[in-house]
Amino acid sequence: MKKLYSNKLVILSLVLPGLLLFLFAILAPICLSVYYGFTDYSGMGTYNMIGFENYKTLLHDATFRIALRNSLYLAIGFVFIQHPLALITAAVLDKLGGRGENFFRCVYFIPNVISVAVIAYLWKFIYNPDFGLLNNLIKMFGGKGDINWFDSNTAIWAVLIVLIWHGFGWGMLIYYTGIKNIDPVLYEAAAIDGANQKTIFLRITLPLMKPVIQVNVTMAVISALKQMETVYLLTNGGPGNSTQFTANYLYQQAFKAFKYGYGNAIGVVFIIICLIATVVLNKIFEDRDEKAIKKLEKARRKGAVA
Amino acid sequence: MARVGKKQKKTKKPVLWIVLILVAVIQIFPLVWLIDFSLASSNEMFTNGLLIIPEKIRWDNYAKAFVDGNFLLYLKNSVLINVLAVVLVVVVSIMAAFACHRMKWKLSGLVSMLLAMGLMIPIHATLLPNYKIYSMLGLTDTIWALLIPYVAFSLPQALFLMTSFMSSIPVELEEAAVMDGCGIYRIIFQIITPMLKSSIATVAIMTFLNNWNEFMMASTYLSSPKWKTLPFSVLEFTGEYSSNYAVQFAVMALTAAPAVIVYIILNKHITKGVAMGAVKG
Amino acid sequence: MKKKIVSIMLAVAMVATMAAGCGSKESSSDGGASEDGKVTLKVFSNLPDRKNGQGLVEQTIIDEYMKENPDVDIKVEALDEEAYKTKFKAYSMEGMPDVVSIWGQPAFLDEVVDAGVLAELNQDDYADYTFVEGSLNGYTYDGKLYGLPRNTDVAVFYYNQKMFEENGWEVPETYDDLLALAGKINDAGVTPVAMDGGDGWPMAVYLSDLLYKVAGDGYADIISNAIETGDFSAPELEEATQLLKDAVDAGLFQNGYDSQDYGTAQNLFTNGQAAMYYMGSWDASMALNEDIPEDIRTNIRVFTMPVVKDGKGTATDIAAWNGGGYAVSANSEVKDEAIKFLNYMYQPDKLSKYGWENGVGMSAQDQTDYMTGEETELQMQIVDLVNNSTSLSGTPINDCGPSAFKTSIESEIQSVSNGTTSIEDFLSTIGASCK
Repeated sequence: MKKLYSNKLVILSLVLPGLLLFLFAILAPICLSVYYGFTDYSGMGTYNMIGFENYKTLLHDATFRIALRNSLYLAIGFVFIQHPLALITAAVLDKLGGRGENFFRCVYFIPNVISVAVIAYLWKFIYNPDFGLLNNLIKMFGGKGDINWFDSNTAIWAVLIVLIWHGFGWGMLIYYTGIKNIDPVLYEAAAIDGANQKTIFLRITLPLMKPVIQVNVTMAVISALKQMETVYLLTNGGPGNSTQFTANYLYQQAFKAFKYGYGNAIGVVFIIICLIATVVLNKIFEDRDEKAIKKLEKARRKGAVA
Repeated sequence: MARVGKKQKKTKKPVLWIVLILVAVIQIFPLVWLIDFSLASSNEMFTNGLLIIPEKIRWDNYAKAFVDGNFLLYLKNSVLINVLAVVLVVVVSIMAAFACHRMKWKLSGLVSMLLAMGLMIPIHATLLPNYKIYSMLGLTDTIWALLIPYVAFSLPQALFLMTSFMSSIPVELEEAAVMDGCGIYRIIFQIITPMLKSSIATVAIMTFLNNWNEFMMASTYLSSPKWKTLPFSVLEFTGEYSSNYAVQFAVMALTAAPAVIVYIILNKHITKGVAMGAVKG
Repeated sequence: MKKKIVSIMLAVAMVATMAAGCGSKESSSDGGASEDGKVTLKVFSNLPDRKNGQGLVEQTIIDEYMKENPDVDIKVEALDEEAYKTKFKAYSMEGMPDVVSIWGQPAFLDEVVDAGVLAELNQDDYADYTFVEGSLNGYTYDGKLYGLPRNTDVAVFYYNQKMFEENGWEVPETYDDLLALAGKINDAGVTPVAMDGGDGWPMAVYLSDLLYKVAGDGYADIISNAIETGDFSAPELEEATQLLKDAVDAGLFQNGYDSQDYGTAQNLFTNGQAAMYYMGSWDASMALNEDIPEDIRTNIRVFTMPVVKDGKGTATDIAAWNGGGYAVSANSEVKDEAIKFLNYMYQPDKLSKYGWENGVGMSAQDQTDYMTGEETELQMQIVDLVNNSTSLSGTPINDCGPSAFKTSIESEIQSVSNGTTSIEDFLSTIGASCK
């Protein structure tokens, strides 16, 4: 058994496909990005090594700052708007039971399986100030209905709404599963104590959901950083650069402005930021995890005692 | 619980329903709107109403969308690429998970960490260098240009899931198999794999959801219609029929349809899969 | 032992299938002559609408060519303008399709020609092709020709004549009239001008149009000076930008113009939601587009940018240039066939004639032979505009500098027009991108 389980050749044959994929699709492009990030390559013809020049430019690049700011907004939007709504909806849905529960769960998730291409174009129409759905809705309620949703001050929020709307079902589903996994004994105990729904939600559901919330929040922040496709199709960063995101910006710089080297430098910084964000979030939640477990145990004990 | 719970349910139900219906309307109304106008004629768009009853139901919008949107070809490509990606992800992740967590060797920790890196790397940061690499190797405009990144970036998550499921399979089973003279490959594919059914389903669903709607790579790496995927129906159409909104709506509805239909049919399994994937991953 | 062999075989098989897969794909996807002796020509076009206007013309010629040359198979990849330009640049890094749409302007061609991506054409071949004088200039570098122009493009305001008459609106004589008219049209609940501001370049054309009216024949020098030095503080540039901003402030463009795309702007106009539409003369084919309601399409007329106060440009100094055209890839494996096809397209009775018949405005070749007397009124109006003009502006400002400048101005112009950035900041930002 031991011999069989440490056969080097067998091991190699098993991990080789995965490793090749990693080398070819992830490591090689990153190395290439690092290399081109040090050049003034336009994408074709000859180029020079220019050291950290690209990175110096990047430090003072106002558009890059806007892109990072927008990622931050989006992360905030996800964490403080989408997720609370999803969590509350999940908790409400959990109480419904029966066929209705399945029906709503199914409906909420539908936008998630629709292509970003469709979603982006659809929302372009929804937001259209002249004949879009939103302004027509406002007109129906007696408003003037001439709001320009993509005004450069508000465009980023218009984009956020689309993203929050699109990803809502996903977050809801995960919270819903988390709630379903909570031991019903706890609810019973609370109900016997005479706690109302609100207290139950705040005192039992929320604390017990902490691990799920943490995973979800981490994912949300990362996906806010990685955002590209919806923005690319919805606004392409405009008006001005008010809805620019990092991935979209590096794409524009490389394939529109013929600054392939600069685009790659942005890519390198982008990767570093994503790595740091993941590590930091994990660190933050790691410490809290221990506390959460303690709390969970406490709640269990409380439930048992009652 | 039963008594008290029921009582509360009765009093709260109308409120629950109102909240849930409101959310449902927000989530689904845009799609209803889409379908409504996809059946109208283009200039009926310019109304103040929310929904309209088209003067004449224009099924021919869909006919146009179906034919000129290359719908069948792109659907076929999408299905093919995604099925291949799923199969590859499942096979590769089972093999790697087994090697890294069941077998004994020094570098197993390092390798599994490397393979997990893809989870943290933003996929779009590889767009630029990969474009160079693929064109150097003559891979642009081939199925490989999509398959390789799709599989590579779905692998880490699949690996997580497989590992966590695998760890719940008792080692004794394998020991018995080794006694019977089974080799590693038979152990993996004949003993372990059948026991991973539910996690394979989860991996398949997650991989599908991740890649089915991807188009950024597709639009960068592909040029001929040969391998273009479903989102291209929409992207190409908006230019082609820029002066006909209704047909644009029809093509959007049509493009969204396969995934939505499959989702509704397999709703339970998909829900379970996503839930499992998210909680374990 | 047995297991070892199996494992090695499996590993080898894995790698082999991947490698084999790549190999076989490569041979089948490469262009050029295939086994059955058919030549495949890849055409990359910026005209996704193959059933109307210029796209229809292009497709008609391609179909005819394939009919006459049964051994040639032409594959078209068509994307709309913005997507086209992005993909074109990606292609120029790693190998082009055989025949491509190009624009004879520095922003588009400088880098590409420098890198040797486009094939040189033999100038003498085109002596009999009746190209309008000067139209080849944008495509010529160091005396070598790299492409051929398709259109003579004029920036115009399309307007709905019927709507104008019914409301008693008049075609404006001066820029101030135009802005005053905007107020009247807005009062009637109609959008004055539909503007494709989401794309950036139409507004840059608008700015150029204004600059030409402000600076007159100083136009080209002001732009080239500014781009060379990165100093955009010339008073004319400032004034033109201010005039653009005035238009926005006067409510000339639709609500949310700076986020709406080409299709949306055009549809606002062709569905009677807007009284005017600012775009190039290539859109004159609207008059023949069956998707557009008849009482609108037959009533489309044009006027050019009215004169500005104290401006040096007169009413007949119009913003016009030779923009779009075609070129052949230098690395094409079927270069000769590609050039043959290119030349076929430019035979005077092809692009030029069909273009004329489909009402796509003016070609870059002499079209007088193909006048049938059945042209749309819109078409004749545009011909008259050009024929009666005292001077043509040449390349719009956004296309005069390098790609980085073009990218910058096309995005910054949205911010300056909607008031997010000041005029000074706008001019200094676009200046910085030239360095």
